Amino acid sequence: MKNRLKVLRAERNWTQAQLAEALDVSRQTINAIETGKFDPSLPLAFKAARLFGLRIEEIFHDQDPAAL
Amino acid sequence: MAEAQPQATGYQSRMRKSTRRLCNWHGAWAAATLLMAFGPGFFWHRALGLTLLAVGLDVAMGIGMILATKKYVEDLDELQRRIFLNALGIAVGVGLVVGVPWTVMDAYRVIRFHANFGLLVVLQGLTFLVSFLYGTWRYR
Repeated sequence: MKNRLKVLRAERNWTQAQLAEALDVSRQTINAIETGKFDPSLPLAFKAARLFGLRIEEIFHDQDPAAL
Repeated sequence: MAEAQPQATGYQSRMRKSTRRLCNWHGAWAAATLLMAFGPGFFWHRALGLTLLAVGLDVAMGIGMILATKKYVEDLDELQRRIFLNALGIAVGVGLVVGVPWTVMDAYRVIRFHANFGLLVVLQGLTFLVSFLYGTWRYR
């Protein structure tokens, strides 16, 4: 699964640590999500969407082209 | 102008507190285990009452340690919990896969040295440590 977390964070001048605190997770988790090593759970994806004021699908995308 | 900063919720401070509580309970259990193991021989000359008291203390500290570990796992975020539980699963698996054949071979005298529970605990501990470090490195 791809995501725009890094771009959205950079647009707001937030550090990984600040985003991690806001989402109540570790900085390592933010880094793993941004680099595509870890897919967040649905509750965490909703939390990120709420924080950025966006819909989940505007942040997270399915990598399978057939699913688009 | 920079965007407003996100609201801090204190994951790190909660984990610091949880880790400290975990260390305290593990330390207390280790101390109680040492007292139970060496107290009867070194301090109270095998007095039954004191030995039973030491066993009770060890069990109580052990229950506290288990509950502190449970709370620690609950406090972890989803990635940290995955790393922790993966490492725990591997450690338990290695303990079973090595421990059961070792016990059978000991029972049938296939091996010369006796199955030692302490060594199995050390093996599980080391397996957990290596698995945990690998998981942390994998998602770094």
